[in-house]
This record gives sequence, C-alpha cells and structure tokens, in this order.
Amino acid sequence: MFETVNIAKGVKVHVHETTQFKTINFSLKFKDKLTKEKASARSILANVLQHSNEVYPSHTALRMVLDDLYGTSLYIDSSKRGNEHVVTLNVETVNDEYLSEEGVLEKVMNLMYIVLFKPLFEDGLFKESIFKREQEAIKHRIESVYDDKTRYAQQRLIELALPEHPASIQPNGTIEEVGKVTNEKLVEEYREMIENNEIEIYAVGDIKAEMIVEHFKEFFHFADREQAIKAPSTALTKPQQSRVVEFEDMKQGKLHMAFYSPVTFRDEKFPVMQLLNGVLGGYAHSKLFVNIREKESMAYYVSSSFASQFGLLFVLAGIDAKLEEKAVKLILEQLEEMKKGNISDTEIDQTKALLTNQLREALDNARGQIDIYDQYMELTADFEPDYLISRWKSITKEDIAEAANELSLEMTYFLSGKEDDSVE
Amino acid sequence: MNKVEFKQLDETLYHEKLPNGLEVYILPKKGFSKTFATFTTKYGSIDNHFVPFGETEAIKVPDGIAHFLEHKMFEKEDGDVFQQFSQQGASANAFTSFTRTAYLFSATDKINENVKTLLDFVQNPYFTEETVNKEKGIIAQEITMYDDQPDWRLYFGAIENMYKNHPVKIDIAGTVESIEDITAEHLYTCYNTFYHPSNMMLFVVGAVDPESMLNLIKDNQAEKSFEEPADIVRVYPDEPMETAIKERSLEMSVQKPKVFVGIKPERLDLSGEEMMKHELSAQLAYELLFGRTSDFYHHAYENGWIDESYAFDYSLENGFGYALIGSDTAAPEKLIHEIQATLDRAIEKWPFGQADLDRVRRKKIGFFLRALNSPEYIANQFTRYAFNNMNLFDAVPTLESIEVPDLQEAFASVSHESQRTVFTIVPPEKAKQ
Repeated sequence: MFETVNIAKGVKVHVHETTQFKTINFSLKFKDKLTKEKASARSILANVLQHSNEVYPSHTALRMVLDDLYGTSLYIDSSKRGNEHVVTLNVETVNDEYLSEEGVLEKVMNLMYIVLFKPLFEDGLFKESIFKREQEAIKHRIESVYDDKTRYAQQRLIELALPEHPASIQPNGTIEEVGKVTNEKLVEEYREMIENNEIEIYAVGDIKAEMIVEHFKEFFHFADREQAIKAPSTALTKPQQSRVVEFEDMKQGKLHMAFYSPVTFRDEKFPVMQLLNGVLGGYAHSKLFVNIREKESMAYYVSSSFASQFGLLFVLAGIDAKLEEKAVKLILEQLEEMKKGNISDTEIDQTKALLTNQLREALDNARGQIDIYDQYMELTADFEPDYLISRWKSITKEDIAEAANELSLEMTYFLSGKEDDSVE
Repeated sequence: MNKVEFKQLDETLYHEKLPNGLEVYILPKKGFSKTFATFTTKYGSIDNHFVPFGETEAIKVPDGIAHFLEHKMFEKEDGDVFQQFSQQGASANAFTSFTRTAYLFSATDKINENVKTLLDFVQNPYFTEETVNKEKGIIAQEITMYDDQPDWRLYFGAIENMYKNHPVKIDIAGTVESIEDITAEHLYTCYNTFYHPSNMMLFVVGAVDPESMLNLIKDNQAEKSFEEPADIVRVYPDEPMETAIKERSLEMSVQKPKVFVGIKPERLDLSGEEMMKHELSAQLAYELLFGRTSDFYHHAYENGWIDESYAFDYSLENGFGYALIGSDTAAPEKLIHEIQATLDRAIEKWPFGQADLDRVRRKKIGFFLRALNSPEYIANQFTRYAFNNMNLFDAVPTLESIEVPDLQEAFASVSHESQRTVFTIVPPEKAKQ
C-alpha cells in the first residue's frame, strides 16, 4: 500500500499513490514518550502551532490562506497510543485537477513547512498572549469531557482502576499539568519535538512518491534522531476497589466495566481477542446486544471494546439506575457462556465477516489507510488486509473460549442519577 | 436507464424511475472496495398529521412514531434483520430525521444479497402488539440517553424556541410518555401511507456495476405487488415568522454555560434551484459573518467568549429551517450580545465585497469536492437534496453563479430581530462556587 523512504534516521516518508480520492492527504506524526507532563505541554504546543506563525501571525490570517486554497483543512491534534504520545499535523487539500487553478499542492506543502518551522517567536518565546490563550483552551477541552457523561464515566473508570498507568493518561494531559507549563518549557518541548521525536510522514492521493519524498528531504531538513525502542506494554495492576458508584444530576445510569486480559496488540493471540470482543459486544448480532437490549429491553446501547495496547476489555451500557445489579449479572452470564464455549458457528461467521468488512471499509478512506498502516507497521512491514483476515479465518470457538477464561473482571464503575432517586 | 456525466467532478450518475414509482440512483466509485446503499422514505418526525392511505380524514399520530417505526422495521417474524446483514458481512443501520427515514448498509462483499435484503426488509412490515410493547423499554433508554446530552438539549432547545406550531419542535424520538401510546395499528397506518415505493428513493454508491445492479433492483421490485400510488396529504399548521420564545435557559450538569442564538428563516416555501441558491448564499453570508476568518470570531476568541466548541450552521427544509450560532462560554451575556450586534451591524450596512465572496466560495467548493470522497455523504445528501427537488451535483455550478447581492438578499431574510431567539444551558448554582 505505502512506499517507504527514510529521509533521515528516525524520519520516514510513506507515500500511497492512488487515484481513488479527489483530495491529497498528509499526516505528519511526531512520537514521544507518554507522560502527563508531556501530554499537557504538547497539547498546548499543537494549538499554538496551528494558530499562528511568523508568516501568518494571527489565526484569521492563517485561516484566510487556507480558505483561498479551496478550504484546505489543516489541524494539529494530540493523541496517544500505548506508551506513546503523538502530535499529528493533518492536512487535506483538493487535487487541483478538479479545479481551474494549478499549483495548489506546492502552496499547501509550503504552508506545512511554515506551520512547523516558522513559529511566531518574540524574544525566543512563543507570543505570550497566544500561549496563554491556548493554555486556557486546553484546560477547557479537558474540562468539557465532564459534559459528555459516557466519556466522563469511561475516563473515571480508567482513572480509578489504573491511576498511575499510561492507560489512564489523557491525550491532553491534566488541568493541573497544563497550568504548570511555562512558555520556556513549551519552547523546549517544541525543539524536542522537531529535533528528537521519531517522525512518520504520510501522503495519500494522486501524487508522485518521488516528488513528495524529494520535497520533504529538500525543504524540511529533519536531522537524524534516535529511534525509540518500542516499549512493551506496562503491566496492569489490580485496582484498589472493585466497585465504585458516583452520582451526577442525570437521568440514565452509565455502567462501565473493566476486564483485564493478558493478550495485547503484540501478542500472537491478538486476533482472537478481536473476535472475542466482536462475539461479546462489538455488533448488533453480538451476545450483549441480543440478550440485554433485544431480549430484556433494558438498554439502547450495550457494547464492548478492546483496548489492545494494554489488554483491557471494556463493557458499557446505558441503563435505568435501578437495574445495575441485574445488568451486571446478565453481562457476566454472557461472558460465562463464552467461557464454556457456548458460541455458535453463526456467531463466529458473522463476527469474522463484519471484522473483515470493517477493515476493508476503513481502507476506502485516506485517513483510514494512514491510521491502520501506522498502527500495524510495528507488526508487519507491508500491511495488507489479508494479514489479519487470514488470521481471523483460522480461529475456532475453542480459541475464543480459552481467551475468555483468561479475562478477569477488575472493576465496575456506575455513574448514577441523584442518590435519593436510586435508593428505592 | 438515464446516465448523467459530471465531467468536472469525474463522476457518472445512473438513474431510473421504476414502474412502481421508486427512484433508483447508482453511482459507481472507482477504486473503492465498499458499496454503501440507502433506502429512504420521505417521512420524518414532522409528518405527524396526515390523511392515511385510502382514507379521507386527516389524523394525528403520537410523537416519535416515525422513529419508533424505524426501530420496528428490523424485527421480523423469523428474527432480527441485523442477523442476516451480519451473516452477509454488512454493517446495517438506520436513522430518522425531521423529514426522512433512511435504512442503510455498507459492505465489501455479497452486495447483491445485501441490496435484496435491504429492499425486502423495508418492504415487509411485521408489527404485533407484543413486539411493539417490547420496544418501548429500549426507546425509553434511547430518549433518556439524549436527555442527558447537553449538546443535544441545546440544539433542540433552540429549535423549540423558534417554532410556535410547526412539528419540528417535537423531539424526533418523542418522549417516554408519548411512545407509550403507540400501537401496532398506528405503525401500519404510517407504514402504508409513507412507505409506498413512489415516496421512496434507493441510492447505491461504490463498487458496483450500474447495469447489473439496476437489473437486480428491477427484478426484485417486479416480484412484489403494490397499491396504486396516491398523493400523500400532509397537514402542517400555520407558523408565524417571529420566534415563539425569545429567551429560555435550562439547568444541567455541565462545566460551563452553553449558548445557542437561533435565527428563523423567512423563506420557508422554497424548493429546487431557488432553494439551493438561497441555502448556499445564506451559508456563505453566515460564513463571512461568523466563520473562522470573521471579525466576530477573532474578537470573541481573543476575549475568551468562545472556545473550541464554537459552531454555526444554516439549514433549510420545506416549512422550517434554522441558523444557529453558539459555543460553550464563561461569558454568555457578552457572547449573546456580540452575536446580536454582529447581525445588527450587517443589517445596517452590508460589509462584504467580491474578494470576500470569492474566498468563502472557494472554501465551499473545496468542501464539496472533499465530501465526494465519502459514499455516505453522497448517498445521504443526494437524497436530502432530491427530496427538495435539488441535485447535489448542481452545488458547485450553483456556487459559481452566486453574486454578492445574492448573499445580501439571503442574509436579509435570516437576520431580523423578531426572528431571533436565545437558548442557554447553565450549570447548577452549587457547581458555580
């Protein structure tokens, strides 16, 4: 799918030449170690860089240029995967073959250079007013998770279960750490990112790989840098409590459960866990959906997900607060069925078919291609869908039952409506 | 089969209206592995007052029924249709909006089987009192879930404020109480009235051969018999131009207040080319006034009155529409005042010229071209446009035809003080300490 060229030690350019899309997509991923401090600083940095630079000193000036380039989208986001923190510059621009104008791509690539290499410095620091404002913006972003009670409950579950573990570090850090970042520290973090982070550059579209590689080599002059050794997953420690209930002023109860599995992304048995998750709660044919939603009419959503980097399986459901106990019992019963191997051939066939469809579909999207390739490149140099599909094919219900028997329920978190409402 | 080429966009669209009235559109996408199909009826939450098929008197049905019907279509005598789609490797889903109910799947394999399943399950209703009652618990949880989402409450609160009589102000899913009244008989009445093929559209986009796909659809439809199509009589109440409620707020468990200023459009009788031109012109005008490059945005962001949640939108249908501008904000009064003042200033003196128009037009053209990478966008939006007698693929040429006075005219009809409303969600008192 992608052609890869090393343009410096630790800096790779991956290009996929394709006429499938009407746009050209770029992603530049800067990878560093995940800590609360780093995540906090790098989130402010991402905002500061996407807001202003030496050539376009205000947000308005930069956005006007992007509008002129046929609404080219450019944003920098802060995310995490496993023990890594990733700052990504994402750019999507229209292939000028569809326009009456030429030279759009060159202008866009030049703009990417400006955004990364020509920040708006005053006396060796980021412009103070912009730094302060974006620091505030990140605090608000972290705070706003509270407004979405499903996300909030999931965050609480992980914080409570694994307080000092990378799994509970948020991609934007914490309000406290964001507040501690100084302008000096941010400049340091910026240098670190540009000079020492491992970088993956992706380009997808109707482009010439050679031209793209040359461009990055010639204009972006990234220096050699150390390549980090992929750290193994941090071990999961037992939570202090096995059940926590918290209250908020809301109508629905949010049930979130965390199970530990010894299997992670890097494990041979990872595809078995994908299948297990699918049979349990990934789809509308899954055991949780069929039994808790359709048979019991207890929930609108009830599903499971597998965080493969850490070996964490989550189950979540929106239910009437009075039915917590019943819901937990029913969920565990479904898991018990799986442990006993009570999984039909139909369930397995359906799950394999949908996993396959999901993967193929994701590759019909430029960003999907980049994300999947970026994730799997650690396991296989030239990722093709069949890498996973052939593994899923050979999995049996005995394999799934075995993996189910290795799961342990470690924490149940319930976010409920007002206490006085739920006593009866 | 009609074939329309859009040379500039490098797309070819195939179309045929079948003898039973069903409109079929097929758009092959080069290089794609997946196929996405939507089967949509022009029937949404606002169609709650109508003359049932074969009758003469108009009736009113319980709130939330179109959405309830959507849920119940998936259950058949021999089980759940999701099971069959999964077996055939397809991800299936459905949604109900104010004006449409759409059933859809995406798949990379067994496309013919999946298209047949889609047509067959939507054209074969099976409702009993027992299955209808069983669904009520599930939908009650869905409604409760939305009730706890401040962003949904904000959006809906603003629309409720705008409309006095029009059913757009009724929540799409209804309420926990209103769905209690729904019976299997209601569902059949709605189904028979609105699910006739002549009120529906099938859109297939992706890795398909248009000719063989069309033949499959034709054969499938020819095997089934339908009643003669009849015109559907929908009844809508009169709606004054001014907003129903000027200002209202709701307390919810949120960190910061959330604000929407809503503006009710004056021209609610448009369709076809005129509608497309008006909608795009108004969107461009709002982009200039409230977009990321506007003075308003700059000023509000610098002052900390808006944050990353800031959004604005303009949307128009037949009979209703809305412009919305808002954000999470620590300074709701200041933000509301600035939005109002920005509108007032633009009414007093129109501030934009040709260069401004050219810039936002380029942005919008880029948006359309990007969106054409997405089979989901194409199928959903094409259907939405077509139900209003517009063609999605005319958007770029229409944009190119827009002049500065078009923006002024469109803006003038969505700006007046009497058409505005404010809805705010505020954190509880104790959380403010």
